[in-house]
Amino acid sequence: MKIIRNNNLCYACKTCQLVCSFHHTKTFWPDQSSISLSRNPQNGIIKWCIDSTCDGCLNEVEPLCVKYCIYGALQEVKEEREYD
Amino acid sequence: MIKRGDIKGCFAGKILRIDLSNKKIWTEDTKKYTKKTLGGRGINSLIMINEIVPQVKWYDPENLLCFGVGSLVGTMAPGACRVDVSTINVFSGGKGSANVGGFWGAELKYAGYDNIIIIGKSEKPVYLYINDNHIEIEDANLIWGKTIFETEKILRQKLGDNDIKIASIGPAGENRVRGSAIIIDTAKAAGGSGVGCVMGDKKLKAIVVRGHGKIEIAEPERFMKAVAKCYEQCKNEPNTKMMHQAPLNLYSDPDFLGWDSIMVVKNGQDDQWERENRIRLMSLKTGVPNLQKGVRACYSCPIGCIPYMEINKGKYQGNKGEGFWINAIMGHACRFDISDPESVVNSWLLTNELGLDGDYVAAGLSWVFELYEKEIISQKDTDGLELTWGNGDALNKLIKKLAYREGIGDLLADGMVEAAKKIGHHSEYYLIQVKGQPSIEPFRVPKGWALAVSTSPVAGRHLRGATMGSNEYGPKPRPGNFGVTDYQNQAKGVVWQGKTKELEDNLGICTYVGTWAGANFLTIADFAELINAGMGLDLTEEELMNHYAVIGRNLEKAFNTLHTDMSRKDDLPPKRFREEEVKSGPYKGFKIEENKYNEMLDEFYELWGWDKKTGMQTSTGLEKLGLKDVAEKIAKQGKLIDQ
Repeated sequence: MKIIRNNNLCYACKTCQLVCSFHHTKTFWPDQSSISLSRNPQNGIIKWCIDSTCDGCLNEVEPLCVKYCIYGALQEVKEEREYD
Repeated sequence: MIKRGDIKGCFAGKILRIDLSNKKIWTEDTKKYTKKTLGGRGINSLIMINEIVPQVKWYDPENLLCFGVGSLVGTMAPGACRVDVSTINVFSGGKGSANVGGFWGAELKYAGYDNIIIIGKSEKPVYLYINDNHIEIEDANLIWGKTIFETEKILRQKLGDNDIKIASIGPAGENRVRGSAIIIDTAKAAGGSGVGCVMGDKKLKAIVVRGHGKIEIAEPERFMKAVAKCYEQCKNEPNTKMMHQAPLNLYSDPDFLGWDSIMVVKNGQDDQWERENRIRLMSLKTGVPNLQKGVRACYSCPIGCIPYMEINKGKYQGNKGEGFWINAIMGHACRFDISDPESVVNSWLLTNELGLDGDYVAAGLSWVFELYEKEIISQKDTDGLELTWGNGDALNKLIKKLAYREGIGDLLADGMVEAAKKIGHHSEYYLIQVKGQPSIEPFRVPKGWALAVSTSPVAGRHLRGATMGSNEYGPKPRPGNFGVTDYQNQAKGVVWQGKTKELEDNLGICTYVGTWAGANFLTIADFAELINAGMGLDLTEEELMNHYAVIGRNLEKAFNTLHTDMSRKDDLPPKRFREEEVKSGPYKGFKIEENKYNEMLDEFYELWGWDKKTGMQTSTGLEKLGLKDVAEKIAKQGKLIDQ
């Protein structure tokens, strides 16, 4: 499973980062989030990345970042892997 | 007083105190103030009334500059991102307050602070660097004199951190231009009351923040359940989609009701803008919407209403940045009769770049344009600028002159009321101002709006009770229909909206996501649940609306009473709108009828519990709120009504 982001739909509100930190810590703690996001208000560029601490929100129906992205910019993609 | 337990979550826990005169830094517990208020502006107001004595003026070192982050900011409460900046109002001499969104507030809470209270004045320009508990007052030589855009760029490079959040002033604030703003993230302005002017007077160029901590929640699962419910409401609210596209697109329809009811044209000569101008400015293909390249949101916001603008042709080609609001249409287009989209967008971006309040620029400079039309001033006084209606280039040049105090800009920078005294020739009649602050607001058509703006404790602004089109008690807005033209029942709506805004500014929830822009966004019941789950309290809607919200408003009113001679006489709309009628359009003939306005004002005072005759506060009213100490201060000045 991986989370992908559509840059054209992203409003850079950082809700994904925040809800991810809640999943990990039951507090609001962006430093402990699997997601980081920054935006440059002058040139309009948004940078977003998700690191290896993402567990796909174990025990949740869907990843919380996808659930709370009201702009529909995040999507969960199932990866098919081939094993030797 | 309401009896309740201690707060167990949502707050960062500390208030940061800075003395710029003596370069001292210390902290105190936020808990000291949370018995009487629920955070944000409430704490700022409480500290101001406790600590600023009535003789202090805005330019005295004893004036405080207070930053108050809302108590739910940093959590996932929808739209919780707002910061209140309070200080002495440079226009009225009473309470000054401006509210701003963005990311700075949450960062400050992650650094560990709910409020920053600044006293004193630095001798040399400085900036404040806050990185968790590492706090420095740094030399600002590198950035003094720079624009907001340059300042942010230099600070990011110098500190080597792209995640810092910056609140700064531009050349306007440095030059103590009265209508200066404090700008956050290059585009979001704490605009009103001259807060940027006070920051410049203290020689404080910027506050840079980086935080790595967390916000704890009293009952995490219950809180997230409340958040989920709020998100569902926001998803289902029809206005959310409209906001997602940035609300100014509504105005691409020249028949949209907002055009007829809230636009003030040529500095108040009419309230009706010509159809061809509306089309030229806002056409989807060639107007302002065509310059909108994207939309952005503030922190944790499910609405997202910030357009990202890029000018792609003409003499301003290449200028870009976030932010363009309906105020820009009202202020920088209609008030000057300018329909050239590039010029209007540029003048708005310019206010961000130079650190000016866009509304002050609009109301103040359109007055100067009218003085030019009336031949009270001439090209000799304007350094050669032709300030004719529709001349966008002249406006852009005049904004720069104002920010840098060049030529006529120097005369205007000390405030328009002062400038009118120097100019003379009956010029003060044409200046649209309330309690000394120039105002872009509509008065003649939407009567509730007129009441809210005229009675605003922070002088002439709409966000202390103006209702978005409803004269009903409670949230039943008809978005876009600002044309509620009757006087009946307006006071109830204005007081209700005033109370909800108090709560929103304590909690830091943007009023767009709160109670202002749609009936299905957040409700008072949602506020109560977020507070109770987040802070571990047990408050009812009734206690929020009739106690905490009322305390907030009364603290600001009391500050005005103690520091100025404000009373009922100052709660009237500008004279022009009581004398001159709307000249054209569906509301032709409308003006403020004083007897009917006064009936509205009577009811307004009664609903807040103030004396009808004078508009002043009463002993029983203040004591009921647990503000006996405030009542005593007012009584000492002989201004307390004994009833």
